[in-house]
Amino acid sequence: MTDNGNPYLPYPARILRVTEENSQIKSFELAFTDPERHRAFTYRPGQFVMVSVPHGGEAPISISSSPTRPGGLTLSVRKAGRLTAALHRMTAGELVGLRGPYGRPFPVDELKGRDLIFVAGGIGLAPLASVVNLCLDRRGEYGQLTLLYGSRSPADIAFGAELEGWRRAGVKCLLTVDQGGEGWTGQVGLVTTLFAQISPDPGRSSALICGPPVMFRFVAAELTRLGLSDQDIITTLERHMKCGLGVCRHCHLGPKLVCAHGPVFTLAELRGLREAELS
Amino acid sequence: MNDHLILKKDHTLSLLRRLMREHRLVAPLRNRHGDTLFAEVDDLAGVELDLEHQPQASLKPFLFPQQETMFRYRLDGEGGGYRFEPPEAGRPLLFFGVRACDLSAVLYLDVIFSRRGRDPYYFARRHDSLLISLACNQPFANCFCNSTKTGPFLEYGFDLQLTDLGDRYLVEVGRARGAELVGRWRHFFTPAEEGDRKAQYQALLESRSHFQRQVHLEQAIRRLQADEPLPEELWAGLARRCQDCGGCAYVCPTCTCFTITDQQLTATEGIRQRSWDACTFGGFTRLAGGHNPVDASRDQLRQRFLHKLLYDVREHGRPSCVGCGRCLGICFGGVDIVRFIDLVCEVRQ
Repeated sequence: MTDNGNPYLPYPARILRVTEENSQIKSFELAFTDPERHRAFTYRPGQFVMVSVPHGGEAPISISSSPTRPGGLTLSVRKAGRLTAALHRMTAGELVGLRGPYGRPFPVDELKGRDLIFVAGGIGLAPLASVVNLCLDRRGEYGQLTLLYGSRSPADIAFGAELEGWRRAGVKCLLTVDQGGEGWTGQVGLVTTLFAQISPDPGRSSALICGPPVMFRFVAAELTRLGLSDQDIITTLERHMKCGLGVCRHCHLGPKLVCAHGPVFTLAELRGLREAELS
Repeated sequence: MNDHLILKKDHTLSLLRRLMREHRLVAPLRNRHGDTLFAEVDDLAGVELDLEHQPQASLKPFLFPQQETMFRYRLDGEGGGYRFEPPEAGRPLLFFGVRACDLSAVLYLDVIFSRRGRDPYYFARRHDSLLISLACNQPFANCFCNSTKTGPFLEYGFDLQLTDLGDRYLVEVGRARGAELVGRWRHFFTPAEEGDRKAQYQALLESRSHFQRQVHLEQAIRRLQADEPLPEELWAGLARRCQDCGGCAYVCPTCTCFTITDQQLTATEGIRQRSWDACTFGGFTRLAGGHNPVDASRDQLRQRFLHKLLYDVREHGRPSCVGCGRCLGICFGGVDIVRFIDLVCEVRQ
């Protein structure tokens, strides 16, 4: 893609549509205002963009749409701080700035032919959704697709429309909530409790995980118990970032930088890195 | 051309005046408070050039300012635009009287700001800049560039390197830009004699024998590379004494961590700014929502020291401490990099 020579300059993008996924998460479908840039923009699942909100600065947001689908770029955003709160107040037609995409994507080519277990907690489903949709669009290239998705409560279950579509398309979707409620007849408990319902073949399975550090630790332990190797346990990390270019160093994991070496890492790559919060 | 020349001290200001026609001169000046600092010089007549003392700050602020505007942004009303306008570059810089450590640091900055393409802000100032260094005949009290191998004299990296030989400077020509300068202002220079070169060598030997500190950097690096974790108490002890002031990062010529923020100027306009940051600050890695993957109470200084002495050794083949000693002078907790090196050397293998 052509560049303006200054990697820090964002390009304006218009919000096409806002979907409220739950009380904390909204999805924004975006298109660059320059149609040529929009056509030329390519990305891979697991990559992120730096999003500028007028007067609000910039933050890294992972892409939740799949490059295999036409239309805008979708970012699913949990209201977590000032910038995301400002983004949540924005509506269709308004402009944000975008630069990127950045980061090492999920190894979707190497994963061809394998059974994939997606494990997500809350907003963690956003980057994984990109991979699920890519796999469904290239259905013959991947084996069984299983999603284990944990939410705090039934009302917090996000991406309802996506989940419905994935179920219809044959993805085994297992949901759990930390705290049940009236009318909830599904699983109650942490996402690890769902492992009792699956029996993956470790030789042909890879796991893609995104969620809070404590969730990742327990999920990784379960997957190891099921026989998956550290190479086949893949996660994507959220970190504070300012440049996205491997310079500002806010996203360091000791010697590694999440923006440049990640955000996608295998468990094998994270072992021994204190800042990866594996213990 | 002979790459060893003589420049008479009496001619130096006159040469600088010529060069100032095309360059903004940055040189160590003694100010009215008695501090020596690099500063931009508009008129050499009104200032006191100080080549005796170590400048208290490095060249870093001139290439990577403490705060700079990355671009101005404008919002053009209802459904209009969101435009980003970067600033124009200024005249090229000429750095004069640069010590070996600070020049070595610039070579490191060149690498850091070349990640993922050249940093447009850094290279707008670095590009076309001239570096005239001054070899250190007498190391300062906190210097340890002999351990970091970044001084007291340089072998490369400079455009011109000057060595003080009393009433004259021996001039070594380094990069092409230095040769160009000498070629253009030929009448300021005369060829060096054999005796001048001997005098320079003598000065180098004497300088090497005058270091007051013995810093066992190589031993510390070997210990860090052994991949055997350092005692937790070592890290915690350093963290307890760090006062979170960021002074070490600010005076450090190779610390380049930064943050980026927007500053709103009017309802429809603002600027995006880049400012120095420090990995030692408790909030450096804190995420929106409050979670922090780094426990500062335990690891406040870990990233600072390991980045310089281990990660950069692995990535670039050499540590990114240049031995200028400024963090020794500024840290009131006594947890400067030499303290760390000493502590690592004391750990039993």
